[in-house]
Amino acid sequence: MRLQFMLSEIAIGLRRNLSIAVSVMLVTMVSVYLMGIGFLAQGQVDTLKGYWYDRIQVSIFMCGKDSLDANCDGKAVTDEQRDSLRSQLDEMKPLVKNVYFESEQQAFDRFKEQYRNSPLSDYLQVGDIPQNFRVQLNDPKKYDVVVSAFEGAPGVGRVQDQQKTLDKLFTVMNVVTIGSLFLAGLMVLCSILLMATTIRQAAFSRRRETGIMKLVGASNFTIRLPFVMETVLAALTGTGLAIVGLWVTADSLLPKVSAVLQDAPLVGTTDIWFVAPWLVGFMLVVSVLTSWATLRRYLRV
Amino acid sequence: MIRFENVSKVYARSTRPALSDINLEIERGEFVFVVGASGSGKSTLLRLVLKEEGVTQGTVLVAGQEVGSLPHRKVPRLRREIGTVFQDFRLLPNKNVYQNVAFALQVLGRSGHAIRQVVPETLEMVGLEGKEKRLPHELSGGEQQRVAIARAFVNKPPILLCDEPTGNLDPTTSLDIVRLLDRINRTGTTIVMATHDDDIVDQLRKRVVELKNGHIIRDENKGVYGSGS
Repeated sequence: MRLQFMLSEIAIGLRRNLSIAVSVMLVTMVSVYLMGIGFLAQGQVDTLKGYWYDRIQVSIFMCGKDSLDANCDGKAVTDEQRDSLRSQLDEMKPLVKNVYFESEQQAFDRFKEQYRNSPLSDYLQVGDIPQNFRVQLNDPKKYDVVVSAFEGAPGVGRVQDQQKTLDKLFTVMNVVTIGSLFLAGLMVLCSILLMATTIRQAAFSRRRETGIMKLVGASNFTIRLPFVMETVLAALTGTGLAIVGLWVTADSLLPKVSAVLQDAPLVGTTDIWFVAPWLVGFMLVVSVLTSWATLRRYLRV
Repeated sequence: MIRFENVSKVYARSTRPALSDINLEIERGEFVFVVGASGSGKSTLLRLVLKEEGVTQGTVLVAGQEVGSLPHRKVPRLRREIGTVFQDFRLLPNKNVYQNVAFALQVLGRSGHAIRQVVPETLEMVGLEGKEKRLPHELSGGEQQRVAIARAFVNKPPILLCDEPTGNLDPTTSLDIVRLLDRINRTGTTIVMATHDDDIVDQLRKRVVELKNGHIIRDENKGVYGSGS
């Protein structure tokens, strides 16, 4: 079939079925948008994991004079106890990467700086945060080795692992990811069903043309191609709009998030260019397969 | 050109065969009337040639190909060898005369150059020159059937099947249409025409195959409609 003739047939078909072609486009747009959000959220989780796990620390809080921790028994850590903890940590290399000591004054200053906008900082006094070792690990997943080694050791009030806190955050983000991918899946199903219905209707409304095509001996490919092309065109237009939507989201919404999360790295518009080809490819395959399968059923020779 | 060997066709959900044990040979360049009452099997005979239906038994040979065992993907090639004309014209209402005829070539992928050359020739041959821009509803029944014949013939198929092409036309117009088919026949095209228009059959004196209840009860050269039954 000649290109020009085929294009004119497609144009006629789309004009005749404009409303339903638009609905295919919109449903595809929403499903691809959700899918994109899901992928970007997953990408965000991965980036943040990498970023934070690198900085993750186990904090060994030592006993202060007013510590309420059971292990302290109301006594502050002695200098010998602190030195022995220090040497124990040094012996744990290479598991332990770095050890920083933070005095009560330093801890107080850091808290004041971090929460300078919060009323909490007004009530804090030096000594409320005990002196502590901040331990950076070579493999953050092995934090439990350090935790078990120091929990209950003399002079240690509490061992705190940031990973637990982070894991909660990541669980929330994973739920967002799974939720949006689940919704995207439903929407993709909707768009598949809608495409199938569209093609059924188009095949019915053009049965005269296809009937004549069959009679004069046009090949199956020729008869079916305009239907497939119309569906693919509608689906890809929707996908294109969805990608534009994702880009706008990343461009205008994410900067606001990054204002909250300070220097944490975020997915950005560049990630969308990475995801976009996959989304386009996916929708292309889905629309071609759906239309071909539907035509096999409703447009027999 | 077309050969039926012991062909039977039973439709699903029907007890009586539409055709039973048909043997028929149609030579290249022949003009054959297939006559008989409604339900005698005329349309089924044509549908078997086009492979719109498969045979239940026997073999159908069209232009040297065994139609029964023809795989699906080769059916289009078979149909390019056969032009088809129907009682209800089957024109595309939103395309004009020229576009309707050109459509048959466009879907076969013919070049624009070839189309611009062949379509006017064919329209002139069927007597529609000057009416290229008309839409089907602006034409008389006879003219519409001429468009349909032009569309069936524009690809120069060796076989032309006509299923009651004059069924919707008045006697004078009908005769014009059959004369046109006769002219096409003289170019060497084999024509098989199912009809129950006795006037036409009697006037043209061509080969007549009469069907009754799925059997051939008469096959004579230069026959008339009514004799023998």
